[in-house]
Amino acid sequence: MITTLLTFKDIHLNYPALERPILQKINYSVQAGDFVIVLGANGSGKSSLLKLIDGRYQPSQGQILLEHKNIHRLSAKNRAHHIHTLTQSAQDNLFLNLTLFENYQLLARNPKERKKKGLEAEIIFLKEYLKDFNPNLCDKLSMLVGRLSGGEQQALALALAVLDPPAILLLDEHTSALDPKTAAHLMALTANIIAQKKITALLTTHNTQHALNYGTRILALREGEILDCIEGKAKKELDHASLLERCY
Amino acid sequence: MIGLFIATLTQALTLIPLALGINLSYTILRATDMTIDGSFVLGAGVFAQLVSLGVSPYLAFLAAMLAGALAGAFTAFLQHKGKVDALLAGILSSFILYSVNMAIMGRPNINLLNSPSLFSTAFAQNNLMGWSAVCALVLILALGFYALLQSRLGLYLRAFGDNPKLLARQGLNIETLRTLGFGLNNLLAAASGAITAQIIGYADINMGVGMTLVGIGAIILGQHLILPCIKTHYLRTRTELLSAFIGIAIYFFILNGLLRFNINPIYLKLMLGVLLALFLRAATQKAKLS
Repeated sequence: MITTLLTFKDIHLNYPALERPILQKINYSVQAGDFVIVLGANGSGKSSLLKLIDGRYQPSQGQILLEHKNIHRLSAKNRAHHIHTLTQSAQDNLFLNLTLFENYQLLARNPKERKKKGLEAEIIFLKEYLKDFNPNLCDKLSMLVGRLSGGEQQALALALAVLDPPAILLLDEHTSALDPKTAAHLMALTANIIAQKKITALLTTHNTQHALNYGTRILALREGEILDCIEGKAKKELDHASLLERCY
Repeated sequence: MIGLFIATLTQALTLIPLALGINLSYTILRATDMTIDGSFVLGAGVFAQLVSLGVSPYLAFLAAMLAGALAGAFTAFLQHKGKVDALLAGILSSFILYSVNMAIMGRPNINLLNSPSLFSTAFAQNNLMGWSAVCALVLILALGFYALLQSRLGLYLRAFGDNPKLLARQGLNIETLRTLGFGLNNLLAAASGAITAQIIGYADINMGVGMTLVGIGAIILGQHLILPCIKTHYLRTRTELLSAFIGIAIYFFILNGLLRFNINPIYLKLMLGVLLALFLRAATQKAKLS
């Protein structure tokens, strides 16, 4: 049975200083297990859309429903429990002046069960768990996260975000600050984990190849409005050139 | 030489709670909290006034710490509601506290030589017993502080200092953490003020001038010496406490050393200021290199 997890109902977002709305007339539904790729030129409203979902922005009009609850009426703690955002900046995802283990203590969800088993068991578990994301991280639990490389930081941020998967994972160009090889590796890892753990996710990107390879649906924005929604057979038949034409 | 060491240790002992408080604000909350200049005097003033009114020294000491915590909470309030940045809020609080301290004390100086103190019974037996009592109180404060930093709340305070926005996104109330953090560092500064007043035998309205700077300089020096020897951040809290103690001890060692060389007291602050500037410069250079 298909369950609608996230519903945008006539969303508008205005900035007082700007003439044109950042987002307008957004009506869209995300089903559980969808991996939605949000495409659009700079300033099309992609990041603002994610910031509306995680509560950093409030809509000027309309509602965003998580199942049947208005996201902006949830407490900050409840919202944080259901929604996790990763951005391109490590500063937004991690506590850089704290150790890797302290970041785990602060950012992983539902740590109580693991905590019951004791500190040593927790460390062994974490080392084993991090192996799949980046083997270099396993021996760096007591290192300050700010001293890790950019790729290690983003791998760690992803690992902590999906340890106990949130209802919705928001990825705001989370690979765009990395070199192409590391970015490609992290993107493949992200898509793999999302599919494996059946996480509902929205990814903003300029990389149309990622949209074709990994997304289950594509949402294209232009000047704050939905330009196109591509899914199912139509998405499968798309090639790179026609995607560029339809979305930019 | 032994006299120099004893003078250094006894003076450093009274200021250890202050150094721990500054360690909390400067290293953990990552803010330069100038309120400490005022809350140090507030602690001394509240203690001295209450004791001279006949209140038990134990109650007076608790009241002094509570007053310090309130001063810190006020600084946090200025940052949150007044949208004033941490440094300016501290300067403003310290400025306001001058009047508050004068109002509490009623005069610029309160003599405590003939009043009971937390340590008067112990000092009445002999000096060793007296200093042991001071040491025990400082140890209790330091252990309480250590336990707090090792707790989940301590981790939240560190996270608040590092990235309050990310912490807020986790659904935590960062204003509560701000109030707790600033309240606690000023509670420790006030405790230091109250202990100092009992040891030197008076509370003075100007006894807090430059305390924040002395504390910051001392903990930077301590960290400078200790941190390179530490390979793991698991032991960070212990390292920070040790750095605070060593830093403050070295500061007083230098101060007493200068006094023994018959340096004109007029130039004492000038020389110590230059020294602190050198410590700060060394720390900046090191941060750049790392």
